[in-house]
Amino acid sequence: MKLEYQPKVIGFLCNWCSYAGADMAGTSRMCYPQNIRIIRVPCSGRVDPLFVLKCFQRGADGVLISGCHPGDCHYTEGNYHTRRRFALLRDFLDYLGIAKERLRVEWVSASEGQRFAEILSDFTTELANLGPRSKV
Amino acid sequence: MDMELIQQIRDKARNLLEEGTVEGVIGYERASDGLTARPFFAYEPAAAERLIFDETCIHDLVKYLLDKKGKKMAIVVKPCDSRAINLLLNEEQIKRDKVFIIGVSCPGVVETSWNRRSETLQARCRTCQLSKPLVYDFLVGREVARQAEEETYSDITEAKAIANKEEFWLEQFGRCIRCYACRQVCPGCYCPVCFAERLEPLWVGIRIAPEENRVWQTMRTFHLAGRCIGCNECERVCPVDIPLSLLNRKLEKDVKELFAFQAGLDPEESPPFATFKKDEKLEFGA
Amino acid sequence: MNLLASKDDLIRWLDSLLQERIVIAPVRVQEQTMFQPISKVEEIAFDFDNTTLSPKGWFLPPTEALFTVQRDDGQVNLVPALVERDAVVFGLHPCDARGIALMDSSFLQEPSDALYRERRSRTALIGLACRQALPECFCTSMGSAPDDPSHMDILLTEVKDGYIVQVVTEKGKALVPKGLAKYKGKVPTPPKLQAIPTMEVTSAMRGLFNDPYWERLADRCLHCNVCAYVCPTCYCFDVRDYSDKGKVERVRSWESCQSPGFSLTAGGYAPRTTKGERLRQRFSHKFLYFPERFRDVACVGCGRCVKACPVNIDIREVISDLQQLTEVKSGS
Repeated sequence: MKLEYQPKVIGFLCNWCSYAGADMAGTSRMCYPQNIRIIRVPCSGRVDPLFVLKCFQRGADGVLISGCHPGDCHYTEGNYHTRRRFALLRDFLDYLGIAKERLRVEWVSASEGQRFAEILSDFTTELANLGPRSKV
Repeated sequence: MDMELIQQIRDKARNLLEEGTVEGVIGYERASDGLTARPFFAYEPAAAERLIFDETCIHDLVKYLLDKKGKKMAIVVKPCDSRAINLLLNEEQIKRDKVFIIGVSCPGVVETSWNRRSETLQARCRTCQLSKPLVYDFLVGREVARQAEEETYSDITEAKAIANKEEFWLEQFGRCIRCYACRQVCPGCYCPVCFAERLEPLWVGIRIAPEENRVWQTMRTFHLAGRCIGCNECERVCPVDIPLSLLNRKLEKDVKELFAFQAGLDPEESPPFATFKKDEKLEFGA
Repeated sequence: MNLLASKDDLIRWLDSLLQERIVIAPVRVQEQTMFQPISKVEEIAFDFDNTTLSPKGWFLPPTEALFTVQRDDGQVNLVPALVERDAVVFGLHPCDARGIALMDSSFLQEPSDALYRERRSRTALIGLACRQALPECFCTSMGSAPDDPSHMDILLTEVKDGYIVQVVTEKGKALVPKGLAKYKGKVPTPPKLQAIPTMEVTSAMRGLFNDPYWERLADRCLHCNVCAYVCPTCYCFDVRDYSDKGKVERVRSWESCQSPGFSLTAGGYAPRTTKGERLRQRFSHKFLYFPERFRDVACVGCGRCVKACPVNIDIREVISDLQQLTEVKSGS
């Protein structure tokens, strides 16, 4: 995919499911956009909304948080908290003028390499269509 | 001014101090402008004569209880302030047996600042459904059935319709001088080291600029999600008139809609971010 | 010798100043008035009571980079902050001009603050006499007055036909436009202000250092920074280095002694742990330490702190309390 504007995506991937899923995409030689910079966290519940705000402050165009499917969290409940937290933050950021499409929360298991690649591809295209963050 | 109500407060306060039931009484007295009120701490029975209560008693005094931990204090509390008490009880920041609550059936407070007092009821009072505090040890004032307006969050709807939101908010945050008055006055902000003061990791730093201020304001608001009781003190104390209620009320509305929860109504109820429902469907699906 | 400038003369004058200098003037921002650099003379709010923040923010900005250190091609360069252009602060009241003079005592004493000194020497002050005294004003008790031209380069006083132009310094003289008529009329009487007794406030402060008064007063203090930030003479700051992508910036920002962490030392010791100690510090600086050092009390009576304090800690009341406590102590 050749884009003129390359969105910068920061991804917080949980160690047990999503990071392994992304790893699987890699080892299976699946193509996915190189726009993402991945940060491995023990659980999606580790992701502090402050991380997301800092990403946007420092120039990220999109932030992806990916964890285990609800019910499958390695730490049992972490992702339930993720779900609540970021449902609220997503709309709050939209309210402040950072389009809600720029924050994505996905559930990707360790065997879903293909899905990870698809999500990333979809996210990058969506961000490209949104355009860069407006310089205010 | 309702002199009967004031006399009830004074008598009770004097009584508590004379008997040594409390070490001090936190209430209101007349401010230096002779027009409005300000917080007042009475430690001697004679000082109880300085206590007043009227529609300029806008301050939420509950924050002061956190400075007086370990001491038994009495406090004059409006219905909205009692939600702050419930919040702090829920979060185990104060002990119920260390507070003697003088509850006031408050008809509402007005828009007021130093030497300036209007007769306009504050917006939060117009929609307040509480005719008396949710928790108290001694009640003063006549409990009058409130005719509260319906809470429509019209200010939030209006803010959602702003054309260039990011520009609007960066302009607002651009005025912030990081005095932290909003944090200092808030009963919900009591971290020994605020995230904004941390050096490692460095979240905000000392630079005072729109982007840094945005991280500060947004995150402080978010730390109050499901905890803000709507006293509006933050907006009142801001020296540069940043519309902070537009931030806190937005989250208050969302928390109400998403989790059917309002802070400070029940000290036993678990707050929304400490709990979850396994099968809830939130915006981005299961 | 006084000159007269009509409103049109003034606007033309400010316009010409704007061509070569930065002009900082009172501007309406929502419901408040603030000193801000303007791009058009129309932005100036000529009718205002007082600004929320003092003009000290031009000389000591809330945030500024003192210098940056950059690495380019193996070379390390230290780039100090530059003062780009000359400036004019227009519309400040006598109390604020006095505030700047008080800050000068500290910032210009050797070794002087380079950035402050540069900006100060390249900025002219065109002040505006006060037509009315606000309920919070008490400048006459603090060494100033509504019509005091001291510490300004030019003082303007509004009259029916425009503004009386009073040249105070050589710098001011160079700025006055040619062709203004002489003013032969009466100079308006300045408004009368309440007087607060400030006799011996310094020795009162010294004598009451250990008095329980401070802890009691501080009961209602929120230890926010509002009083210090709106004050024309408070000037505490914090300095930190921030590095980002090979560039290091030394940033200076406003701070105040009211912040709990302000006096925290590296070893974890904080000399001012209680609210009373911190509140006492601010008043001690203004009424004890500063006059001991520089002769003048570091308060100009603008009343901004009185208006802005969320819990009504009123500096005039504090001064009066200190007097009373001293009298009680001395048995008089």
